[in-house]
Amino acid sequence: MATSHPTARIGALWQQRLETLREYEVIRDGNIFRTSFSDNYVFSSEYDRGRCLLSRLMDQYQGVPFGSVFSGEELVNEGGSCFLLDSCHKITAGAVDLGRIRSEILGDLTLIRGIGETTQRRLKARGYQTIGDLLDHPRFRIQAVQVLGHLNCAGSSEMMSLIGRRHSMSHPGVLGMAGFQEPEDYVFLDIETLGLFSRPIILFGVGTVENGKLSVHQYLLRDIHEEQAALIAACGHLSGDRPALVTFNGKSFDLPYLQERLAYYGMGNASQIPHFDVLHFSRRRWRGQVPSLRLGVLEKEIFGIYRNDDIPGQMVPEFYETYLNTKNCGPLVPVVEHNRQDVVSLALLFFRLLGDFYGCC
Amino acid sequence: MAVADVLFFLEHNPVMQKRVVHIETTGPKSPEYGTLHTPLNEATAEFLEQRGIRLYTHQCEAINHIRNGKNVILTTPTASGKTLAFNIPVFEGIEADPQARALYLYPTKALANDQLATLKQMVHFTGISASPAIYDGDTPQSKRPAIRTNARIIVSNPYEIHQVLAWHAKWREFLSNLRFVVIDEAHRYRGVFGSHIAMLIRRLLRLCRHYASDPQIILSTATLANPLEFAGRLTGRSFELVDRDASPHGKNHFVLYNPYYDGIGDRSTHEETKDLLGTCIRGNLQTLCFTASRKMAELVAVWARDDARRFSSRLAGAIATYRAGYLPEERRAIERQLKDGSMKGVVSTNALELGIDIGSLDAVIISGYPGTMMATRQQAGRAGRKGDPSLAILVAQANPLDQYFMHHPGQFFSRSHEHAIIDTQNPYIVSGHMLCAAAELPLQDEIDVQFFGDAFPFLLLELASQNLLKQTPHGWVYGGRGRAADAVNLDGTGCETFRILCNGRLLETMDRAHVYREAHKGAIMLHQGEIYVVRELDLETHTVRVAETDVDYYTQPLKEVNLAVIGTLETRTINGVTCSFGDVEVTELYTGYKVKRKDTIIGVEPLVLPPLTFRTTAFWFIPPADVEQRVAESGLDLAGGLHGTEHAIIALMPLHVMCDRWDIGGLSSPVYGESGEPTIFVYDAYEGGVGLAEKAYEILPELFATSYELVRDCQCEKGCPSCIYSPKCGNDNQPLDKEATILIFKQLCEPPKK
Repeated sequence: MATSHPTARIGALWQQRLETLREYEVIRDGNIFRTSFSDNYVFSSEYDRGRCLLSRLMDQYQGVPFGSVFSGEELVNEGGSCFLLDSCHKITAGAVDLGRIRSEILGDLTLIRGIGETTQRRLKARGYQTIGDLLDHPRFRIQAVQVLGHLNCAGSSEMMSLIGRRHSMSHPGVLGMAGFQEPEDYVFLDIETLGLFSRPIILFGVGTVENGKLSVHQYLLRDIHEEQAALIAACGHLSGDRPALVTFNGKSFDLPYLQERLAYYGMGNASQIPHFDVLHFSRRRWRGQVPSLRLGVLEKEIFGIYRNDDIPGQMVPEFYETYLNTKNCGPLVPVVEHNRQDVVSLALLFFRLLGDFYGCC
Repeated sequence: MAVADVLFFLEHNPVMQKRVVHIETTGPKSPEYGTLHTPLNEATAEFLEQRGIRLYTHQCEAINHIRNGKNVILTTPTASGKTLAFNIPVFEGIEADPQARALYLYPTKALANDQLATLKQMVHFTGISASPAIYDGDTPQSKRPAIRTNARIIVSNPYEIHQVLAWHAKWREFLSNLRFVVIDEAHRYRGVFGSHIAMLIRRLLRLCRHYASDPQIILSTATLANPLEFAGRLTGRSFELVDRDASPHGKNHFVLYNPYYDGIGDRSTHEETKDLLGTCIRGNLQTLCFTASRKMAELVAVWARDDARRFSSRLAGAIATYRAGYLPEERRAIERQLKDGSMKGVVSTNALELGIDIGSLDAVIISGYPGTMMATRQQAGRAGRKGDPSLAILVAQANPLDQYFMHHPGQFFSRSHEHAIIDTQNPYIVSGHMLCAAAELPLQDEIDVQFFGDAFPFLLLELASQNLLKQTPHGWVYGGRGRAADAVNLDGTGCETFRILCNGRLLETMDRAHVYREAHKGAIMLHQGEIYVVRELDLETHTVRVAETDVDYYTQPLKEVNLAVIGTLETRTINGVTCSFGDVEVTELYTGYKVKRKDTIIGVEPLVLPPLTFRTTAFWFIPPADVEQRVAESGLDLAGGLHGTEHAIIALMPLHVMCDRWDIGGLSSPVYGESGEPTIFVYDAYEGGVGLAEKAYEILPELFATSYELVRDCQCEKGCPSCIYSPKCGNDNQPLDKEATILIFKQLCEPPKK
């Protein structure tokens, strides 16, 4: 007896059902109260601007071939192919006062387990000014050796996580450890995805410092089957000599997302490297001084950067889907630009914070 | 001998004796103890000894099989020690391999909590570090990573697993070392729901395969007619069956009790239930009473307490309700009181049927046939302590099914268990899970066909044609928007969820069809025994706003159904009647609702709702022209006859095909379609069909025969709730003509005269 009579309506049926899923909520402008219910919202004015932009771009780029919109090159690796866009940006990476960082850390006895503020005060009164001094202390000697060991292979994740554990991950000391890396070690990463989870990453923006300038390498998927190639290329940056990852909210979003996509293709885990999440340090540095801690707001408040024709990050999926469905490259233009600016602002913010906390005056 | 006393009373009390239509006595049966191929380790042996437990034959059989690496399905009755039979070997496996993990799946959170307590007890006594933990929607984010890493037994539910599979990278270690998957209460996973769970299990096993593990599967279920077929369909694996119950049973008396013995029934089933409960309690029987709804559970308990108060206030205090929605502490207190004997009577909904451990009692009262023999036996199985006599009473309601059993006790007691239907080929269900699977790992043509069946290649192309899947060098990847798992609702193929809000507080969620039926504007809704009126149904935002109210009327929607045949797949002739099976498209339109007080209609209000359209499978048949003629000649109503035939068939379909009558829809018309022939349709009430009409089509002669008997043997004159009246008729049970129905059934059941 025939048990299945698949009909040609199934695809359309699911398409229809999935259409009804919303990835973000549009809320009335200024309704700050509503924003606390959902971390994924777009103000209605932003939404309207986004939709306007989309239709304008569709007209503007109608029939324009991909090659004449984006100047880049095809990249081929064992995962297949994807499209690479390179650009170069000016940044100022001020010198970092390493001595100050070292002495701050050495003078912070509370990094040692068992020493709180009170004990530290007592120890200092008795002449134990630095962790080095504790080498003579009967009880804390062994731990002092360990901490000094961590410090000597500076920039290591161990020291970062020690400071994070004893204080908090947004403690300036954690950021300070970045000072022990060469600027060339930093990998600034920002990804654009097709949704909040378990959807392809459609654009990887990777910034690196080369010859004092910020090089932004963007790995773009011309179709979602190019994800694995882009994933391999982007992750290639994370396995340099002593790379250190720098992201904005990457601890909660970009890195776990990347891990999930690697697992999706059965590619194992991304290597464990030091990771500086600029959101955490920004929160400590600017909380209460800026209207919001979104990257776009920070760059405007701190650097006076105003974006033209930018799209809210939440709307990236529908722009990209429009491109996929129509093959019109228009909607890709602001996505690529948005991602590039995110990487640049991320790098600017990072160096600014490093300078603010530990710059040489 | 309290049971004997109560039984004597039932048989001799002038009011009750008329209602006792049958008593079936079984037992007693002594226990059989088994032996294990290799003895238990010391800690476990001591654990059992302390509790005075000796393993029965079926427990030993299960343990031996599981130790040998076999997948096992256990189908012995309630309280036969199934949990112990799988916990012992799982603990052994976990002790032997320090990496080994186990996943326990329960259909509800309450059951998961109960199992956790049992597991913790075993950990405590055996010293095996299983670190069992619950991982479900209530588990705080902050605790999740530690549970994934440390718990070696994770207790969860299918809804949670459906959501977490996409996060498999975080579960890498757990999945890589998964040795056992235990699925308890597996009989719940049947019908549409079961077909979804079958696909979910395939997605889980697919990820296990990816992480190079191959867990053993252990199923525990109520007794089924087709345990091995069921287990195979649910999981795609082959199983060893352990079904011979070796636990002891005392003498059991099963009473069929019919308040409608005279065809009238001046008191409701619930009042009769209350009286029986009182009788049992006064006879010093610890009694458990099952009602169909939460509200009835509360009411029966209140009434029974009022009655008992006339005898003693202590007795009144020994009656309680126990239902879902109670806090765990409240439930624990009742369980404790039942165990120490201070609680005499407990009224419950089917929450207790689900294996919560309160041990056994002296008597069970089932108020209304619970819909399946499986549930009936599970509920009745609560009666009977080790070797002591016990009593079970089924109190009939006025509906046709209950009345059929009251008129045919032989049928009732000889009934085989139901078939648990799972359709692993339903393209609507399979395709949804393919989307979820593609979002978990790219789908591979050759490898994944083993999980998704014959339609897999076709469905890949179908989904790809809408860009929901994309072919890449690495397999087919998910290309749709949002999260696929959010679009697939395990409880049915519908995925739209409406929120029912009262003053901004979420009461519950419903799918669209339920909303149209039960939560349209003006509808009276019951939730946890409280009455609400629907103030607003917002189709745009999928929100229903209700307000608390206190009215004595209720509402019933009026529905129009239209049906179009899409394609005829098979045709057969039964006694000269052409019967067909195929695809149909059903359009349901809710046109209004009735406002009723008791059985009186006090008003009819119009409704404006968009039509609901869905494609499903159906069987239909066209009574031949001479029946039409005979009906006309006898001055009877053809439309009423067809309608009655449809109702009787739908009423008895749950007997033959495991489903609820709400799972099936029907349509009859004296002039259907272009040919204008009289036609009766019976279809699955789910998008895509779930094999109900299909199964019924295979056994149509039996279905016709039992439906005929129901109508023919009913005492009523012009049709009644016991035969051709349907409680879910959208046309107000009009027109109906019992004589015409019998004429039509005669044609269906008797070979045509030459």
